[in-house]
This record gives sequence, structure tokens and C-alpha cells, in this order.
Amino acid sequence: MEGDLRVDHNTIIEVDGRLVVSGTARFEGRSQILGDLECGSFDADEAEVQVDGGLVVHGDVRARDSRVEVGGPLSARGIDVDKSLKIGGPATAEEIEVGGELEGRSTLSARSVSVGGRFRLGGKLTAQKVEAGGSVDLAEVDLESLQVGGVIHLAGGAVRRSIEVGGKFVSEAPLTFGSLEVGGVAQLRGSSKGGSIEVGGMFSADRDLTFDSLEVGGLGSILGNADGGDVEIGGKFEVRGSVTLRGSLEVGGAISVDEGLVGTKAEIGGKLKARRAIFTGSAEIGGAAVTQDGLKASRLRLQRKARATGPLVGDDVEIDSKAQVEDVYGGRVELRDRAEARNVYARSVKLGDGASADAVQYTDTLEMGRDCRCRTPPQKVASLPNFPL
Amino acid sequence: MIGDRSDRTTAPRRRELSDLYATVLEVVKRYRGVARITRVSYGAGMPVDRLRTFVDRLLALGLLRTEELDGRPVYDITARGQEFLDTYWKMRAYVEVLEPPLEERGRRRR
Repeated sequence: MEGDLRVDHNTIIEVDGRLVVSGTARFEGRSQILGDLECGSFDADEAEVQVDGGLVVHGDVRARDSRVEVGGPLSARGIDVDKSLKIGGPATAEEIEVGGELEGRSTLSARSVSVGGRFRLGGKLTAQKVEAGGSVDLAEVDLESLQVGGVIHLAGGAVRRSIEVGGKFVSEAPLTFGSLEVGGVAQLRGSSKGGSIEVGGMFSADRDLTFDSLEVGGLGSILGNADGGDVEIGGKFEVRGSVTLRGSLEVGGAISVDEGLVGTKAEIGGKLKARRAIFTGSAEIGGAAVTQDGLKASRLRLQRKARATGPLVGDDVEIDSKAQVEDVYGGRVELRDRAEARNVYARSVKLGDGASADAVQYTDTLEMGRDCRCRTPPQKVASLPNFPL
Repeated sequence: MIGDRSDRTTAPRRRELSDLYATVLEVVKRYRGVARITRVSYGAGMPVDRLRTFVDRLLALGLLRTEELDGRPVYDITARGQEFLDTYWKMRAYVEVLEPPLEERGRRRR
């Protein structure tokens, strides 16, 4: 029909095929269209509009204080719905803004999607920018950026730039992303790859993870291998596979790695547990180091009263006072006051007051403080045994 | 909505007062300083009259601020409001770890 269509309260329009309106279709109150609708623009005010078929709007959809439900596909230039929008078929638009709830059973493609409350979509979401204030449940995504205030579940995909989530983020399948910033909990299911990861509370990945940096306020766990730059964990960090870092590792509490741990620098407030740990720079352990094959660093320091199980290897090794360690291999090894070691093999050895060792072998110098104890007399040797690692 | 579902492996949580305040703050935050009360009510899933009591409380606590735009009040989150959200979500994360999974809770009940 030529011109505009005005639909008042409690109207049902039966359509034989498709209703085409060249101008604006205006709705007030509750109405239903039993078929497809095509119009120049769509305008609703305090309305509940149900289009059983598809909806094609050449201009914009504007629905003030209204709910709109489309059974089939939806296409429009811009969509602005105050209360809720439900779509049964594939949807395309340049911009979609919904104040309350957006629900789609198929795919959605738009430049930007903004939802005040809940957003659910059954098919793939393709967009540059997606924002939602409440909870979000999505299938696969192909996005530039994603910002969610509450909780989001998605079925993997790609977010090329940034993901910012206030509460909880769950990806059920492999995900690639530029950056991930989550206030509460982040869970990655499936091998994932991304840039920086920053999580306030808990972070977990159930497969391999590749990243530039990982910062977690509370607890972190990776059930596969971790490959990345810097890692900073406030509490506890568990990895089932191996960890390979190009940067530094800082853990406030404890770190447990089932396989090998490699990095440039480490500061562990509590306990380090790994099959083997190798750092090209320095490593400082506050509580305990437990390894099977050993812990190696260029400069290695175990703090006061720390414990070490497994060999320690370093160019420069300092065992602080009252610490207890097993075998130590190094260029320069110092056992401070009342520190205890099993065997010490080094170019230069310094034993503080009351320090003790089962055996000491050195090639250059030995300094001993007061009341040092060695079960066998220290031996100056021409060469030291091969160091582990 | 915040608090209606924590995970697929855990039971739905009953929305507590703190969840409701966080919901309102998150919705207001998304509008970047121009949140109108009706839009916030749709986003938060709360009728306007009930929402007003929450907004008044958040304003009194300094977690929200308001100003006039085209003769109507609009709302924005304050730095303190953002601090509340940061703390709220972090705490929710810790609480979630402490809660046993759904199946374990079921076994305990049996």
C-alpha cells in the first residue's frame, strides 16, 4: 500500500503473502500481523507488536516503551526498542539498541549492538561493538569489542580487540581475543589465544592457553600448557602442563606446575612446585621450592626459613638464614646464619655463623663463620661434578 | 540479570540486595552519564517506582550522581560506585569458589 499504515489497539492483520507499506507503519497498543511486513520505517509507542513472519524495514525501527516480536527474519537500518525485542530468524541492521531484553534464535549481524539488560542469541553474532548491562548468552561470536556489565557465556569465536566484563566471563569453546578484562571470574573452555588477560578474582582455562600477559587477583588455573609473556597472580596458580614464559613470574601465594616451568625472572611469595623450573634471570622464593629435576636461575635466593626439595642451581645462590635445602650447585653459594644444606658444590662457598652442610666441594674459595658444621671436611677439588639442568 | 544464574553447574542464586544494587549500577554505567530512569528500569528489569528507592539510596551513598539533561534527570556512576562494582564482582568470584558444585549439594541433601 502507498503511504503510511496506522495500527491501533488490539488489531490483527491477516496478510496474504507480504504486507508492503511504502511509508511508515505506526503501532499503538497490542497488535499482530499474521504474515510478513515490509515498510519504509517502523514506529511504535507504548505498543506490543507481533509480526509472525519476517520484517523488512528500509529505514529505522523506533519502539518507545514497547515490545516487538518478529517470528522470521528482520532487517532494518537502525533499531531502537525500549523494552524488548525478540527475533525468530536471522537479523541484520547497522545499529541495534534495546533498553531491556534482546533475544534472537538465529544469527545477528550489525555494526553495533547495545542492550541494557539481558541479551541472548542462538546463532552466530557478527558485529564490531557489543555492549550489554546485564547477563549475556551467546553462541559463536565474530566481534571487534565486547563490553558486558554482568555475566556472559559464549560458545567461542573471535573478539579481535577487547573484552571487558564486570562480573563473569565463560567461553565454552576455543576463543581468540585481543585483551580480556574481567572483574570477577573468567573461564576459558577449549584452547584459547589472546593478548593481555586481567582478572580480579578467579581465572581458569581447561586446555592450552597462549597469551601476552596474565594478571589474576585471586586464583588461577590452567589445565593444559601455558605459553605467554608476564604472569602475575595474587594468590595461587596451578598448571597441569608446562609453563613457558618470555617474561617474569610473580606469585603472591603458591604456584604448582606438573611439568616444566621456564621464564626469565620469578618472585614467589609462598611455594613453588614443579617438575623442573628454569629462569634465565633471578628467582626469589619466600616459602618453599619443591622440584623433582631441580630449580635453576642465574641468581637464586631462598628467603629466611624457606625449604627446598630437589637440587638448586645458579651462578649466584643465596640461602637465607634458617632455610633448609638439599643439594646446591653454583658459581657462588652462600649459606647464611644457621642455614642447612645437604651437599654444596660451587666455585666459591661462604658459610654463615652456625650454617651446616653434609659435604662441601669447591674449586676457588671457602669462607666459614663461627660454629659451622660439615659432616665431612670441606674438599677443595680440581673440578666439580656436572650440574643438573 | 545479575545473580539469577552463576553458572551452568551451579543452582540459580536468589538475588540479594547487593545483586540488585550492582545490577542498577551496571546498567547506569552502560549509558555513560545519560541514563534515564525508564531505560535503567528496562535494563535492570525493575519497575520504575521500585527502582527510584534504589537510585535514591545509591545517590545518598555517593555511588551514583545525577544532573539535568533537557529538563529531565539523568544518572551516572561515580568513582565510588565503580569501586563498589569492582569489589562486588571480586567478592562474588571468591564466594563462587567456596560454594560446592550443584551435584555435591544434591548429594548432601540426599
